[in-house]
Amino acid sequence: MAKVGLDGHDVGARVVARGLLEAGMEVIYTGIRRTPEQIARIALEEDVDVVGISILSGAHMALVPKVRSMLDPSVLMVVGGVIPQEDIPELENAGVSRVFLSGTSVAEIAGYIQSAVSFTEETNEISDGH
Amino acid sequence: MPNDRQAPGPSDIQKAHQDWLERLYTPALDRTPERRAFEVDIGKTIEPLYSPASLEKIGFDYARDLGFPGQYPFVRGDSATMYRTEPFVISAYSGYGEAVECNKRFRKLIGLGVEQILVAFDLPTQCGYDSDDLMSAGEVGKVGVSIDTLADMELLFEGIPLSSVKRVGTLGNAIGPIVAALYAALGEKQGLDYSQYTVNLQNDPLKEYLARGTQIIPAEPAARLAVDPVVWCAENAAHWSPITVCYNHLNAGGAGSTWGASLALANAIHYLDLLVARGLPIDKVAPLFHMFPDERHDFFISVANLRALRRTWARLLRERYGAVATESLALKTTVYGHGQETLQEPLNNTVRIGFGTLAYVLGGASYVYIASYDEAVSTPTEESVRVAIRTQQILAQEHGFTDTIDPLGGSYFIETLTKTTADDMWAQVARIDQIGGALRVIDSGFGREIMNRGAQLRQKRLDSGQRPWVTVNTYPERPNVPNTAFRMDPATTERQHARTAEVRRTRDNARVQRALAAIDQACARGENQMPAVLEAVRAYATVGEICERWRRAYGTFEPSVAF
Repeated sequence: MAKVGLDGHDVGARVVARGLLEAGMEVIYTGIRRTPEQIARIALEEDVDVVGISILSGAHMALVPKVRSMLDPSVLMVVGGVIPQEDIPELENAGVSRVFLSGTSVAEIAGYIQSAVSFTEETNEISDGH
Repeated sequence: MPNDRQAPGPSDIQKAHQDWLERLYTPALDRTPERRAFEVDIGKTIEPLYSPASLEKIGFDYARDLGFPGQYPFVRGDSATMYRTEPFVISAYSGYGEAVECNKRFRKLIGLGVEQILVAFDLPTQCGYDSDDLMSAGEVGKVGVSIDTLADMELLFEGIPLSSVKRVGTLGNAIGPIVAALYAALGEKQGLDYSQYTVNLQNDPLKEYLARGTQIIPAEPAARLAVDPVVWCAENAAHWSPITVCYNHLNAGGAGSTWGASLALANAIHYLDLLVARGLPIDKVAPLFHMFPDERHDFFISVANLRALRRTWARLLRERYGAVATESLALKTTVYGHGQETLQEPLNNTVRIGFGTLAYVLGGASYVYIASYDEAVSTPTEESVRVAIRTQQILAQEHGFTDTIDPLGGSYFIETLTKTTADDMWAQVARIDQIGGALRVIDSGFGREIMNRGAQLRQKRLDSGQRPWVTVNTYPERPNVPNTAFRMDPATTERQHARTAEVRRTRDNARVQRALAAIDQACARGENQMPAVLEAVRAYATVGEICERWRRAYGTFEPSVAF
C-alpha cells in the first residue's frame, strides 16, 4: 500500500491496509509522501505481488503512470481514491488493473485482489536479512 | 428559597424514569424491536430518553456546569452577546491554480458576502517546495493556489485590501513563520499598518504528524517554529490569531471528536508551555489561541463537543496556567461545516453539510467555514461555492437559528452529553500527560493507534450496515466522480514556473542570500525565526528556499508506516 506525491491524507490507505491484512494477506504500508522511485524500490525489495496506490490530491494522472512504469510488469497495480470517471480508462491503459473510488468496501477490494492474483505458496529459502 | 417544602426528590424522578423504561418502553420492544444499536461515532450509547433523572445521575449543577454566556466556564458562549449582536463570521476556504485566476474567485466570494477568506495553498506550498521542485510534479495548483513568493500573494490580493475583509489567513501548518511573514509583508506592500487588518493562521504543525501529513521537519523543532509567529504577534499584532489548534483532521482520520479534542488540547498545552518557557505571561499569549473543533457524524454530539471544549479549555487555562483574563479563558472556535459526504449523488451533500454546520451554529462557533457539495469530488466549482455561502447566510439569518443564545442549553440530552464529554476530555488530557505529552503521543505511536483503531471501527460499522449511510450502504448507488468536476487549466504549472523564474531573475539576489543566511543563524542560535523570515519574504525568497534552510538545520520528518 503506497502514498505517492505530497498527498498526506492516508485514512483510506491505512484502513484498506488493515482490512487486507485481516483478509489474510501480508501487507506493507510505505507511509505518506513517497516518490515513484521509492515505491518501486520498496516493491522490489519486498517482492510484492500487488501495489495499491491511494491518491486523493488530483495528481493521479501525473504520478500513477510513473509508478506503473517503474514496476515489474508481473506486479498487479490497483488505485484507490477520488478519480474522475473519464480518467479511469486512461489509467487502465497505463497498466492499472482496477480503480476503486472512495466508499468502496474493503471486502470488495480484498475479493478483487484474491481473484486477480494467483498467490503461490512460496517458501522463500533465501534470506536477505530484511 | 427556604427548604421547607418537599420538592420531588431525586429518587422520585429517577424512579419515575426507571418505571417508564420498565413498564412502557421495554415491553413495547417485545412487539417491535429497536431499529439498531444506538452507538454514536465516539462510542457512547444513546439512551432512549433523557430526563431530569439523567442530570441528577451525573450531578449536574447549573451554576457550576453552565453559568451564563461570556462567563466561566463559557459553556453557553464565548461572549455575553453571541449571535444577538453579530452572527458567526461567514468564511470561505478557497484557492486553486495560479494567483491571478484565484484573485477573480476571491472577488466573487466577497461580492457574495464572504467576510473572511482563508487561502487554500496547494500541496507543494504547504509542504515547503517551490512549484518547479521535482517533488511538486503533478501537484501545482491542484488542491489550492500555488504560492512561491510574495509576488504571488500580491497578485492573489490585487484590488483586495487586506483591511476590506474581517479576517484573512491560511493553514500553513508546517510553514507558520513564512505565512505570517507573507501576510505581514503583503500588508506593508498594500500600505497598511498591521493594526488595520486581522490575520488568522492555523499554524498547528503537531497534528500533521498524526493526520493530514504536510509536515516538513521533525515534530519537536516544528512546534518551536510554530510559536515564533505567536511571540511576534504578541509584540507586533496582538489582535491577530496566529495559531488555531485543530482537530478537524484528527477526527476525520479516526480519532473521533472527543479524543480529537483531547489530542488537540495536548498539542495546545505543548505550544503554551513553550511560550511560558520563553517568559511570556499566559494572559498575553492565551488570547492569541483559537481552536478548530470537528464532529461530522452525530449532530447532538457536535453541539455538545463545542460546549464541552469551551469548558475544558477554560478550566485548563485557569487551573493549569493560572490565567485570569476573560480573553484567555473564553475560547473562540473556528469550524468547517461537513457531513459524511458521498461521491454518490453529490447534491445530497448540501443537506448533510447544512445539518453539520447547523450543529456548530447551535454549539456557538465563532467563525464558520463550510464544505461545498462537490468537495469530496474535486476543487469546488463556482456554483457549489455559491450554494455553500448561501447555506451559511440562511443559517445565520433564516429559521431563527441565531435568535437566542445557546438555544439547546438546558436540554436533558445535550447537558448530559456536554458534561460527560467534558469529563472524558479532562481524563484523556490527564492520560496524555501521564505518557509524557504531545510529542510522546506522536513518537510512541499512542496517537496513531487511537486513529487507526477509530478508522477501522468506522469502516466496520459501515461495512456491516450498523451505521446507515444513504446511497452507500442503504439505497446503494455506484460511486461516480463526474467529468464535469472542476478541471485546472493544464498550462497553469508552466505559467507558474515562468513567473517564479522571472522573480528569481529580477530580485536582489544578494539581499536574498543575506536573508537566508540570517535564517541559518537563527536556526543555529535557537532564536525566533520571524525577523529573518520576514526579511527573506520581503526580499522575494521562495517558500522552498526558506524551507530548505529548515530541512538542513533540523532534518526531515520520518513518515509513519503503521496501520
